[in-house]
Amino acid sequence: MDYTVEIYNETDRERAPSPDECGFGQPVFIEKTIQGDEYIVMGVIYDTQLVDPDQGRSGPRLAQGDQPQFTPGYVEERTKFAGVALLGVAEVTKDATIENPSHQMPRWTLAVEDIVEQCPDGVTREFHNTEDGRLQLAYIERLLDVAGPLGAEVTLALVERLRESFPAEEHQRVLNVIEKDIRWQSSVDRGVMR
Amino acid sequence: MSTPHTSSTSSGSDGGLIGTVAGPGDGPNEFFIVTPDEQAVKTGEFITYSVTVEGTPRDVIARVTNREQARGLPETFMADPHVAPEAVAGTLGVPTEDIDLYRLEAIVIGFYDTDMQTFSNPRQLPRSGTKLRTAPDAMLETVLPNLGIGAEDARNESGEVDMGSVDVATRDGLAHMGWLLNREAGAVDVHVPIDEFAATHLAILASTGSGKSYTAGVLMEEMMKPDVRASLLVFDPHGEYGSLSEMRGGGRFAGEDGYRPEVEYFNPENLRIRISELSVGDVMAILDNPSDRMQERLAGGWRAMQQRESRTWGVDELLDEMRNQYGPDDASVGALEWRLRRSIQRNELFTTDVNVPLDDLVAPGRCTVLQMDTLSRRDQQMIATVLLRRLYQARLAAVRGRGDDPDFNGDIIDFPLFSLFEEGHRFAPATGAAPSLGIMRTITSEGRKFGFGLGIISQRPSKIDQDVLSQCGTQVTMKIQNPTDQKAIESSVEAAGEDVLRELPGLTPGQAVVSGDAMNTPALIHVRQRHTQHGADSIPATERWRAANEQRREHPTRSEDADMGGGDSTGEVDLLGDG
Repeated sequence: MDYTVEIYNETDRERAPSPDECGFGQPVFIEKTIQGDEYIVMGVIYDTQLVDPDQGRSGPRLAQGDQPQFTPGYVEERTKFAGVALLGVAEVTKDATIENPSHQMPRWTLAVEDIVEQCPDGVTREFHNTEDGRLQLAYIERLLDVAGPLGAEVTLALVERLRESFPAEEHQRVLNVIEKDIRWQSSVDRGVMR
Repeated sequence: MSTPHTSSTSSGSDGGLIGTVAGPGDGPNEFFIVTPDEQAVKTGEFITYSVTVEGTPRDVIARVTNREQARGLPETFMADPHVAPEAVAGTLGVPTEDIDLYRLEAIVIGFYDTDMQTFSNPRQLPRSGTKLRTAPDAMLETVLPNLGIGAEDARNESGEVDMGSVDVATRDGLAHMGWLLNREAGAVDVHVPIDEFAATHLAILASTGSGKSYTAGVLMEEMMKPDVRASLLVFDPHGEYGSLSEMRGGGRFAGEDGYRPEVEYFNPENLRIRISELSVGDVMAILDNPSDRMQERLAGGWRAMQQRESRTWGVDELLDEMRNQYGPDDASVGALEWRLRRSIQRNELFTTDVNVPLDDLVAPGRCTVLQMDTLSRRDQQMIATVLLRRLYQARLAAVRGRGDDPDFNGDIIDFPLFSLFEEGHRFAPATGAAPSLGIMRTITSEGRKFGFGLGIISQRPSKIDQDVLSQCGTQVTMKIQNPTDQKAIESSVEAAGEDVLRELPGLTPGQAVVSGDAMNTPALIHVRQRHTQHGADSIPATERWRAANEQRREHPTRSEDADMGGGDSTGEVDLLGDG
C-alpha cells in the first residue's frame, strides 16, 4: 500500500500543482468505481523524490564533433515523484460527499494512470470523523510502519492539519496526547530519550 | 468433598469462574492466575480449585495476595487526565474491550480435612490451565472459622460430604462477628467459636477510633445470647459500656425459657478492696520507694497478719503487729507508717471489712461492668489485681474439687469465666510496672486449664506485656499504622502472617482481621452492627465549642461602657441588673 505517484509538471498540465499543493503530509485521494459504487481511496504524501536523467552530467553536449550546430530532439525527462501511503477508503454518495470512512487497509489495488488528487479539507475532515462525532486516526500504526523513518513526521503533519479541522477542546486534547505519544516514541526510537 | 457447587456463589453468572492458573509463583505455596476481570477478584479473596490428593478429589482453597496488570493500554494514553485513555485508544483504532489481563498471585491455604477438622495443605500446586472459581459462600462459612465440623456433620441429603451443606447459623456457642469483607454484606457470615477464644484468650488490637470497643461490644452481645449465657467481667476504665444494659430487655437476647441477660454495673462507690485481700507484693507496689529494710519489716508484719483468723484488720492493726515484732521505736516501721497511711488508709478504695462478694460479681448469664473511670490508674490496677486473684483462686478451688472439702472456707466458682480488659496495656504493661501484671500472666498462661479466659483490648500492642499478648490465642486486629505496634503484633501474635500484617494500615473502621485459634485461616471481616448502642463515640469538639460559645454570648454577665477619651471609666456594669 505504498505507491509512487508522478507529479504533473508544466508540460503535462496547463497548471501544474504548486509545491504547497503536493507537500509533505498532504492528504490525497483516488476515485475508484468498484462494481458500480463510487469510492475514494485516501492517502497521504509522505516522501518525494526528484528524477533527472542528466544528474551527474554537466549538461547537453554536441553528439559529434563535426556537427556545427546543436539541434535538440530534446525531451524534458525531469520529474518529481511522491510517495503516497494509503490510509483507507470511504464511500462517495450521490451528492458527492463521503460516508462510512474506513481506516482499514483498502482491499483494491490502484492502477497505473489512476489520478491522484489533492484532498480538500472538508473531505479530510469527514474521513477522520466517525458517525458518533469522534475523531479517528486508526491507520496510524500502518502509516508509521509504511512511512518508515518519516512515519512520525508525516503523522505529526496530519495531526497538525486535523487540529484545524477539529477545534473542539475534547478533540484537541486527544490530539495532544497522540502528538506527545508519537514524539516521545520517535525520540525513544532515535535514542534521544528513554 | 464434592466438586465445587456453584449455585450459592454470589459473583458472576458463570458460577464464579474467575481465571486460569498460569503457573507456579515465587513461594512454594504460591501460584499465578491470569484473569480478564480483576474486579471479580479482590485482594484477600478466597478462591478454589479442584485437585486430586491421594486419589480423592479435593476443593483446595487459596487466597489472592497480590495483583499486577499483565496487559493493558500504554501509560502514554493517560498523559492528560482530562482525556480518558479509552478516547485516545478509540481515536487510534485500538480495541479497548477485553484487552486488560491481570496477573494475580495466590497462596494455597489447603483443603478442609474433615478428619483433622482444619485445613490440610496438599503440598502440590495446581497445574497450569486449572480453572479457578471464587470459593462458594456457604463453604467458606463452614471452613474459615475453627468450628470443628467433621464428616458426619457435613453430610448432605444424598449422603455426600459437602461443607456447603452445613448451616452454621443454627449451631450453638458461636459468635457472629460480621461478614467476609471481600464478599457482599452478609454473604459469608463469620461465626467465631466462643469456646475457643474463651479458653485461649482474646486480643482486640487497633488504633484509637478503629472500633475496638465496638467489636468488643459485638462479642459481648454474642456471649450474652441465650445459647451462650457467659459469665463476663468487664474492666472498663473509660465507662464505654454503659449501653450494654439494653441487652436486659432486648428480644434478641431473650431465651425461650425466660432467660434475660443480667447486666450489672459496679462503680467506685461499691468497688471496695479489703486490705487483708492484698498480698504483700501488692502493698509494696503502691508504697513510695520503700527501702529494703522497710520491705523486710512489712513482709514480716503482713505474714503475721495473714495467719490470723480475722480478715478484717487494717493499717492500725498491721502497725501494732510490726511494732510488736520489731520494737516500738523502729525507724523503718515509723517510716512505713507514714507511707501506709497515705497510700492505703486514706484511700477510700481500701477498707478493713467490706469486700465485694464474688457471687455478686460473676454468674452465668451475667455481664458485670466495672466502671472505673473516676479511679486513678493505680487504683484500677489494684482492683484488677485483687479481683483477678480472688476469681482465679476460686476457679482453681472449683477445678481441684476443694468445694467437697469441709475445711475449705474460700470462694468457689464452679463455672468458667471470661474477663475483658479495656485499655489492656494499663493492666499488663510491657514496662512491668503494675501489680496486676503477675496475675494476668498467670491467668493467660494457665487459665485455659481452669476455665478462666481473658480478653485484652488495646490500642498500643507494643505497650502490652509480650508474655500476656503472645498467650492470646485469638486475635482481632483492626487498623494499626504505628510501626512499633505492627512489630509488636508480628513478634507476639503467631497467627499473624505477613499478608495479614500488610492489611493492617489499609483497614477502615469496622474492618478487622480475625486470626488465631478460633480461625482455620486469618480472615478479613466487616464487623456487624451492634444490637445495643455504641457508647464510645468521639465527642464532636467543634459542635460543642460552638454551642458553648453561643451560650456565653447569649448570657453575657459583665460589660464595660466604652471609654470615650475622658479617662473616667464607669467600671464594669452588671447587665443582669442585680449588681
